[in-house]
Amino acid sequence: MGDPKEITTIQATTILISTIIGVGVLPLPLFAVRAGETSAPFVTLTGIFLAAVGLFILAYLGMRHPQKTIITYSQDIIGKWLGRIFSIFVIAFFLILTSLAAREFGAVVVTGVLRETPLEVTVIVMLLLASISCRNNINVFSYIHNFYVPMILAPVLIVVAFSLKNANLLYLRPIFLGNDLRGMAAGMLTVSALFQGSFIITMIIPSMKSPKKALKASFWGILISGGLYLLIVIATVAIFGPEEIKQIFWPTLELARTTAVPGNILQRLDIIFLAVWVLAVFTTLFSSYYFTIHSLKELFQLKDHKMLSYFILPFVFFLAMLPQNILHMYEIIQYIGRAGLLITIMYPAFLLIIDFLRSWRRGENVAKQT
Amino acid sequence: MWQNKHELIVVFLLFFLIPLLSGCWDSQEIEQRANVLALGVDKASEEERKKEDEISHLGKRIPIPDEEMIKVTAQIAIPGRIPLGPQQPGGSEKPVLVVEVVGHTLQDAMLNLQQEVADELFLGHLRIIVLSEEIARHGTARFNDFLRRNPEIRRTAALVVSKESAAKYMNLDPELERVPSLYLADMVDNLSAIGKFPPSFIGLFWSIFSSKGQEPYLPYLTVIEKTTIQLNGLAYFHGDKMVGKTNPLEIGIFMAVRGVGRGGYGAFITVPGKDESVLVRAVSRKTRTKVTLRNGRPHVSVKIQYESEIDEKESASIELSDSAILKKIEKEASKSTKKSIEKLIAKTQKSKSDIFGFGEHFRAKLPRYWDKHVKTKEKWDEIYQDITFDVSVDSHIHRVGMKSK
Amino acid sequence: MSLFRKKKRNVKKPQLLIPSKAAEEKGDTPTSSSLMVKIKEVKELLGNNEDLQIKQIKIFGQFPAASVCLSSLINQDVLNQDILKPLMYVPEHIKGKEKPINELINLIVTETVYHSQAKVGENMDQLIELMLRGESVIFIDGIKESIHIDTRKIEKRSIAQPETEQVILGPREGFIESILTNIALLRYRLPTPEFQVKTMKIGRLTKSTVAICYLKGIANETVIEEVEKRLSEINIDAILDVGYLEQFIEDNPFSPFPQTQSTERPDKTVANLLEGRVAILVDGSPFSLLVPVVFNQFYQTTEDYSSRFLMGSFVRLARILALVFSLIFPSLYVSLISFNPELLPTEFAVAVAGGRAGVPYPAVIEVLIIEVAMEILREATVRLPKQVGGALSIVGVLVIGQAAVEAGLSSPITVVVIALTTIGSFATPTYTAAFALRMLRFPIMILAGIFGLYGVMIGVIFIFNHMLSLKSFGVPYMAPVSPEDSQGMKDVVIRSPLWWMPKRPQFLRSSNNDRLGLNDNKVLEHNKVGNDQREDAANGGSKGDYNNSSDDDLN
Repeated sequence: MGDPKEITTIQATTILISTIIGVGVLPLPLFAVRAGETSAPFVTLTGIFLAAVGLFILAYLGMRHPQKTIITYSQDIIGKWLGRIFSIFVIAFFLILTSLAAREFGAVVVTGVLRETPLEVTVIVMLLLASISCRNNINVFSYIHNFYVPMILAPVLIVVAFSLKNANLLYLRPIFLGNDLRGMAAGMLTVSALFQGSFIITMIIPSMKSPKKALKASFWGILISGGLYLLIVIATVAIFGPEEIKQIFWPTLELARTTAVPGNILQRLDIIFLAVWVLAVFTTLFSSYYFTIHSLKELFQLKDHKMLSYFILPFVFFLAMLPQNILHMYEIIQYIGRAGLLITIMYPAFLLIIDFLRSWRRGENVAKQT
Repeated sequence: MWQNKHELIVVFLLFFLIPLLSGCWDSQEIEQRANVLALGVDKASEEERKKEDEISHLGKRIPIPDEEMIKVTAQIAIPGRIPLGPQQPGGSEKPVLVVEVVGHTLQDAMLNLQQEVADELFLGHLRIIVLSEEIARHGTARFNDFLRRNPEIRRTAALVVSKESAAKYMNLDPELERVPSLYLADMVDNLSAIGKFPPSFIGLFWSIFSSKGQEPYLPYLTVIEKTTIQLNGLAYFHGDKMVGKTNPLEIGIFMAVRGVGRGGYGAFITVPGKDESVLVRAVSRKTRTKVTLRNGRPHVSVKIQYESEIDEKESASIELSDSAILKKIEKEASKSTKKSIEKLIAKTQKSKSDIFGFGEHFRAKLPRYWDKHVKTKEKWDEIYQDITFDVSVDSHIHRVGMKSK
Repeated sequence: MSLFRKKKRNVKKPQLLIPSKAAEEKGDTPTSSSLMVKIKEVKELLGNNEDLQIKQIKIFGQFPAASVCLSSLINQDVLNQDILKPLMYVPEHIKGKEKPINELINLIVTETVYHSQAKVGENMDQLIELMLRGESVIFIDGIKESIHIDTRKIEKRSIAQPETEQVILGPREGFIESILTNIALLRYRLPTPEFQVKTMKIGRLTKSTVAICYLKGIANETVIEEVEKRLSEINIDAILDVGYLEQFIEDNPFSPFPQTQSTERPDKTVANLLEGRVAILVDGSPFSLLVPVVFNQFYQTTEDYSSRFLMGSFVRLARILALVFSLIFPSLYVSLISFNPELLPTEFAVAVAGGRAGVPYPAVIEVLIIEVAMEILREATVRLPKQVGGALSIVGVLVIGQAAVEAGLSSPITVVVIALTTIGSFATPTYTAAFALRMLRFPIMILAGIFGLYGVMIGVIFIFNHMLSLKSFGVPYMAPVSPEDSQGMKDVVIRSPLWWMPKRPQFLRSSNNDRLGLNDNKVLEHNKVGNDQREDAANGGSKGDYNNSSDDDLN
């Protein structure tokens, strides 16, 4: 135990950014457009907002308990056994999230680039990479995220910048199309489910140099990653139009396909994009994997998380192989994602309320005694 | 540090076991791929139809009737025939292989093609797809599904309609480029760069086709003599079916209405009061489209500002020495452009083909009207027939070249 | 300090049974007072050696004594002139003085021998050891103590230009094998009491002198302690080069990446000392070992700093590009050819396909064959005598490359790719780091052969993750990029102007961070000479004239 508390605020921010930006970016415009047609950017924005609320609650909880993660302070707040039961849910959820992320990216790779390679192989390679990297301590974890962030942001920005010449602003209007509010709400949930990686903040806070700045880190993290998400949605909608997006699985990837670099140095940006995107997916996977084993370690009060890293690999792999095909997979992803909001937003909110009540009552008791 | 030794073992596993176990699934050497550079799609003739074998389907259980079978002509690059580096003299061999196959759908035809070619077909370098007019008028949707599903296809590939049979284009032998299809593709790609055609590639065609308030358009090519290709107009579509074509100058008009800034076309404008004319070439344009409802009926007003240049005058009798005459020419140019625009819009209205994307303006700017009265593409096409419009053109001639008169 | 949490290095249990430790058997028994016994003891230990020189004398014509030394190691002139002569020929000032035997030693050391390094020793094993290091010992009959005088003279080469790290701009001196000379080279550049040299002896047989050099008050104390600790844990028979030490003190011996930097250049060593690093010198090795290191310093050279910053930055960018090339260029080529030819422009792709048409192997195998051939060629050129080497490299590159293409063994583009890669790996100034990347090229190539670009990415991520998890003496290897350090970042991709870097890099945790003086630099105002400057002052002074604030936009 006792990694030195060395994670700076910038590192916490970059961890959030690179964790949030993941494979979910690829189908994001499709989800948003399905929900809101031309108001897809608006749907995305509300989704980001919802995710931000969840993240701030978590960060605030973490600041109230700067030495502990949600696994440990939940036991303080709602009692040992109840806390443990909920923690098991959280861990199970992240286990599933890890496997789905690996599976989703495997599916993209197998459909888009490596068409003959078995899905199992691409998934297992990704998972192996994550599980090996998970053997490091939390400082190295933060170095890794910190290092990759520019490389994750750059390709998206480049693709968006070059593609804008084909943009048609008419596709973005009307900005608010209010004819399917239920659909938009569902879309908002789906979009904010893409931000579930931000849950990692609860694991980082105990290792931060100054846990007080967790809120600041979360703010910047959600601002940058959310801004990127919004940018992608706007760019894809402006270029393809909502109707076309509905016909494409991964509009972001298609955006890269439509984009040509001046001078035709590289003819097909989508393949490069996908290759660089391995990074983004890796960081996301790495975070949720790390969170899973780190939480397991804390739950069972183990000394070391290193052995766990290989131990859960078969489970993750097995879960990743469960969806039958890509359509089935996306149904599961959307379902799990929305259900997961209960865990990533409602549960912390619930904890925060109880925590407030407890400290209020304690305050009252103290007041009575004096 | 035993942890590192552990890492080392994993690295060994990763690097050395996997290749032994499985090999390289997707590895396909570049020279073992049959690089399909161009595809031409024609309607299959009676006797060609008979050639089809049962490759992708059993017996006659296919919904597409034989009459609609297509003939696909593919141009495949032959490795080794196109030398690396500067061209060696005396390379008279044809660098590409042209293969013809028939099939019910595009993928069906491709499967048939694969049966005839030793190397695996590779569509990653497919630069241009030529549809014959006959096929285009029959509907393009059935090709698009395959093209979209296949990740190898570039979204930036060109799609054109040809007057003649598409097979003819595959067999062309232009002298400017070693590989014929590359010449064709470069030519089409350059069209928008020199202002001869609005941006057009297959991805854009799809996007426009999908969106509700506009109809796609494609370049319309024709072969002049044996080796020269000419951009002969713009093929416009209703849904996935080509319904007509414009003449070349109308492309410029179309670009003006659609709001493509880059000008490239010039037209002879008669100088008022004289019989002679000058050639005025559009340099750039600015378009503003406004949509309104007049008595519940959609109305479009288009305002176009031209920046033009006088390229040539017909005879010495025209004196281009003062600005007054330029003003007159400007006015005349505006008037004739306006007329052409109105004519073109009316023409497309007749064939229910809103290539200008007015519908998108309505959808974007008048969402309530759209939701109530339109909603679908089909409905919009109906409405488009009867929309009213007014056009105002404002021409400015700022440059006359190096000559003072 | 938790910095060094992972301190479980596996130093092997030493095997102490090494022959010829006769002197040690004698232990620390004092020498007997009898001259004959002493000479006999010496002869027992060193008698077989031709160069053992025992000269019996009578000090001041009175006391029987013997000078013993190994003639091959000493300067005979010094022995004769400065030692034997005054001993045998009684000097003027002590003529007639009473010379009691119990004060004889003192008399000799303080008044007779003309040598600053005359000392008194007692134990036989110590004296033998000193003799083996080139000192002369004078045994005196009837006295237990003996005098030993440093008369060492070992042939050493003169200071020359460093072979492995050539520069165009900058000092030309390089370290040589003698540690004293090397320390002299450092002291000459750092005439300050802060420059400290701690020495220790490592190696049971070689007893090599190891010097730990650092700047007190700048180097981090914990690092110094850690270096001392790790060095003192070494128990080996011989240290022949600084590389031996490197292998014992590095953090992760299984990593392909070097975790210490060895350099031949005193100026580089000093520059690193000034950043707060610790240098380790070993007698007999012309290299100094610098710890802790971070990755980015492997592509930096001293020249970057001695040239103007634009030039330095440009060259450094080129070097980074070369570094990346040498790692992934062949694998990119493989994945483009075998997996994603659609990335190449059509004209080029068709042409490449033509070039490869005759090659029977897949691109991976082709590239691997040529790469291996290149490695062999490179190794051969290093080993060959200079005159032959040049010829071979021309034969290798031109003839073999051309022949391979013509024989259909490889395509011309492959040769181009490999040539670029090889040249790229030469552009990395540090041999060890270049080697790491050269080595890692192969696994990435194999991954590229399996998964194409996806494999390349996986390989690159794996390598980066490994680098990010490395630490050198508590300093993260990828600092200052990650963990981020704004001061250090100014010197990573570009070489910022010196006046732009007022602080030492933080990641080394120096005790003292200020590089520039408190006042801001006035570099940017130098262009105002004479009237311009006065005018500014007359106008009430522009914003840069008087620096009241020590930290404005420059840091």
